[in-house]
Amino acid sequence: MIDELSKNIESLLKEAGFNGKVSDLEPLTNGASNETWKFNFSENLVLQKMILKKGPDAPSSIALPKSKEAEIQKIVFQEQGPVPNVLAISNEKSSLKNAYIMMLVEGESIPRKILRDDTYKKIRDSLAFQCGQAMAKIHQVPLNSLNWLDNKDITQELEELYLTYENFKQPQPVFEYTFKWLRNQDFGDFPNTLIHADFRLGNLIFDKNGLQSVIDWELAHIGNPLQDLGWICVNSWRFGKHENVVGGFGEIEDLLNGYNSIIDIQLDVQQIKNWQIFGTLRWGVICLIQTFAHLLGPNNSVERAAIGRRVSETELDLVDLLFMEGK
Amino acid sequence: MIFDRPTIIELINSVKTFLINDVKNELPNYLGFKTQIAINVLSIVQRELEVGKELSSETLEMINSLLKDIDNPSIDTLAKEIQNGNLDLSDENLKKVLIKLSKNKVSVDNPNYSTYKKLIK
Repeated sequence: MIDELSKNIESLLKEAGFNGKVSDLEPLTNGASNETWKFNFSENLVLQKMILKKGPDAPSSIALPKSKEAEIQKIVFQEQGPVPNVLAISNEKSSLKNAYIMMLVEGESIPRKILRDDTYKKIRDSLAFQCGQAMAKIHQVPLNSLNWLDNKDITQELEELYLTYENFKQPQPVFEYTFKWLRNQDFGDFPNTLIHADFRLGNLIFDKNGLQSVIDWELAHIGNPLQDLGWICVNSWRFGKHENVVGGFGEIEDLLNGYNSIIDIQLDVQQIKNWQIFGTLRWGVICLIQTFAHLLGPNNSVERAAIGRRVSETELDLVDLLFMEGK
Repeated sequence: MIFDRPTIIELINSVKTFLINDVKNELPNYLGFKTQIAINVLSIVQRELEVGKELSSETLEMINSLLKDIDNPSIDTLAKEIQNGNLDLSDENLKKVLIKLSKNKVSVDNPNYSTYKKLIK
């Protein structure tokens, strides 16, 4: 299987103008819906480290196909945004199907290590500021070559999320409550921008100097820029470090200062909190999507089964945020 | 029960111990990660077998007294009543039920969850 995969990678890279050999192909820790493979590619005696990202052959209902995800990364890269350079994009007709290849960015993406290892101790205090800066850079990307992306305001975000949730016919009282509550809140009136929509530890690569790259663009779309700021505050993305509101490592003020160092707009903490609550609900519904992909097929896995029992974590976060002054 | 020991809980425990001690560390990283998830799943099963019935009836009783006018209310009915706007979102009893429901579920699904640990302190 590894040999066949290597051959398929070589032929995709060849089509993109890179003629060489794949070696040391190995899988990295997998997300619930994607495969990531690391490999070396040697071309005219030059060895480069690369990454293959491969999505399921049957694309998920909310994720972009890998080809679109790669297209966005290319555009952000051209605008000097913090993303890995995409080298080749596959399509349904190609043997790799739903996949693309990019340069490997050296560094660490595993949340536990970034939050707990000594290597990252020095930079941890500056990460919230750096994340704010990176978000702002993404939000500045011109939209003219991205008009094929979904463009949603909060009303559409909520409607779409509700329809997805309702479709699974597993009524959740806390979700119903939150949907109703969110319909009357202030989410800030900003022009829509490109948003990553999954900007949090796990999708960020750090080295000892700080944030190097933002990866996993499969949920990106055009939307309210505050969505990204609220999402990184969702408790699930603090990986146990509940006391550090931003990503498990920082404070909201630092995130806003970093953002404002690039884009000078008035940011409102309550509006961001409302996006955090929306984000918590959204993560809960994404857990349902993963769960039912397992229960209804065709994507069975123990990770997806397990994620069904993480829905309750988001419910507890919601009641904490809504009723108990949770942060 | 007509069955001999090990009990279901003990059987699950034996599989968990096997996965933790003999399997997990022998595997490459990505499979070790999956094995940890499998271990977590077994822990959920264990906890639900131990306290699931009790927690369910405790929660359903609370829902019962919140929805007095409805026969045999369930989680589904509570969700419907909220959706239909039949319940006042500022009702403290409703909030209490939702808090209890969420706490009880997480106590089985993942008692190590940060928010849960904070709230039971």
